[in-house]
Amino acid sequence: MIVVDRVTRTFETPAGEFTAVRDVSFRVAPGRFVSLVGPSGCGKTTLLGLIAGLIPLTEGRVLLGDRPVTDGVPPDIGYLFQRDALLPWKTALQNVALPLTIRGRPTGETRARATEWLRRVGLAGFETYYPHQLSGGMRKRVSLATTLIYGPPVLLMDEPFSALDVQTRNLMENELLDLWADTRNTVLFITHDLEEAIALSDEVIVLTAGPGRVKASYPIPLPRPRNVVEIRFREEFTRLYEQIWKDLRDEVQQSYARSTRI
Amino acid sequence: MKSSRATRARRGSERLRLAAGRVLLLAAIVAAWEGGARAGVIDPYFVSRPSKLAHTVAGWFAGGFIYPHIWATVQEAVIGLAVGILGGVLVGMLFAFFPFLSGLFHPLMVVFNATPRIALAPLFIVWLGIGLASKVAMVVSLVFFIIFFSTYAGLRDVDVNLINHVRVMGGTRRDLMRHVLLPSALTWIFASLRACVGFAVIGAIIGEYLGADRGIGWIVQYGESMFDSNMVISGLLVLMVFVATLDGSLGWLERRFSHWKQKPL
Repeated sequence: MIVVDRVTRTFETPAGEFTAVRDVSFRVAPGRFVSLVGPSGCGKTTLLGLIAGLIPLTEGRVLLGDRPVTDGVPPDIGYLFQRDALLPWKTALQNVALPLTIRGRPTGETRARATEWLRRVGLAGFETYYPHQLSGGMRKRVSLATTLIYGPPVLLMDEPFSALDVQTRNLMENELLDLWADTRNTVLFITHDLEEAIALSDEVIVLTAGPGRVKASYPIPLPRPRNVVEIRFREEFTRLYEQIWKDLRDEVQQSYARSTRI
Repeated sequence: MKSSRATRARRGSERLRLAAGRVLLLAAIVAAWEGGARAGVIDPYFVSRPSKLAHTVAGWFAGGFIYPHIWATVQEAVIGLAVGILGGVLVGMLFAFFPFLSGLFHPLMVVFNATPRIALAPLFIVWLGIGLASKVAMVVSLVFFIIFFSTYAGLRDVDVNLINHVRVMGGTRRDLMRHVLLPSALTWIFASLRACVGFAVIGAIIGEYLGADRGIGWIVQYGESMFDSNMVISGLLVLMVFVATLDGSLGWLERRFSHWKQKPL
């Protein structure tokens, strides 16, 4: 369970105080897949950083389970970054194994589980490859395996697929849903792509243009298991899309107007 | 696979042609030198002759004259290198982890690094005598700064994304050190190691020029004082082969330890 309670974060900048997110509250029930959508610059990444304890809060509180996130990174969360963060000097296998290595698990078990996870993300045979020898999609798969291998109950994902081409992206989204069907982590997924948000989630939360506030929240009652490409042809999908887009459009326009004002 | 074999074959023949070309070029230079000196076009008093040089150098090795001198230079360079690297890594780490220290010493470091180290050599000789210690100090003063700046940069310029990645998966400070910071610093240090070896030899040789009783630099300096260009150039030849061997083995080491890096296209 993730609880975000009246959270505000301001930054000191040379131009004065800058509010990235203001008075944001929402909760993600255990085992739910929730997406945050909002125009660029609405503080989505800041929000994830706050939940992961990477950025300290200015006001409000964050609870993971029943424990408040106060001092540093809480144990057992997974975070999939927008840019992949694989260690370039480690092989695919060593990268996937790292969370277990850090936890001091025996080498044999670590190797076996990392090999198994590479297989699950479709990279059997690539154990000894270094990140630079893998394609963008493959690196994402390694990142995903690295995040899932230690079974974090809470999974934070920051536009993880935004840098991929559309086909690879749809494949990865389906794979994510398949893996998630087994692991059932509580997922908070950030994207600026409304279609992706609806196709993946149980609930979509719309944020306003910066400073980000919660504008509205929509349950997505589409049946699972889903295929992210085919689900887009359903009438319900289109109806949901239209409904949420009306909310999002104003924010996107506002954000755009701001970014082009000189 | 077929195409890769063809590519490899083509690359192989290209390499062969290059190697043959290099040998020919060297032979041409040596022949022109020898011929020119014999024909009286160039004055062998100033530039000697390849055959005479070969005779001198061969005599040095056969008679055992050269070994103590090579050993002296190697000793100075290696000890200086070891001390300089160790000191550079330690101070680099200290400064990277304690910004106050780094701020405090920054102007001093910049000034020292900008000072031509040759200018310090007389001071080293006054302080430490004409033996091993003054040459080691000279080498250290060159190597230390290179390694220090590499270590510092390697630790400071780590991608924040990588640090966050390891923190979020539960990494402690020690894990960050072991899996992120040190490997990052090591790549920087390795990248500058080759330059360091070059500077270590330069430092040792300069030290020997300015006051010593042995070493390759001393041979060159002694030859100069006797107006014996044959001896000077023979000394330089030994030095060149020595440095080339060292650089070659370092290049090999470097390739072995940077196997994870992307090769430039």
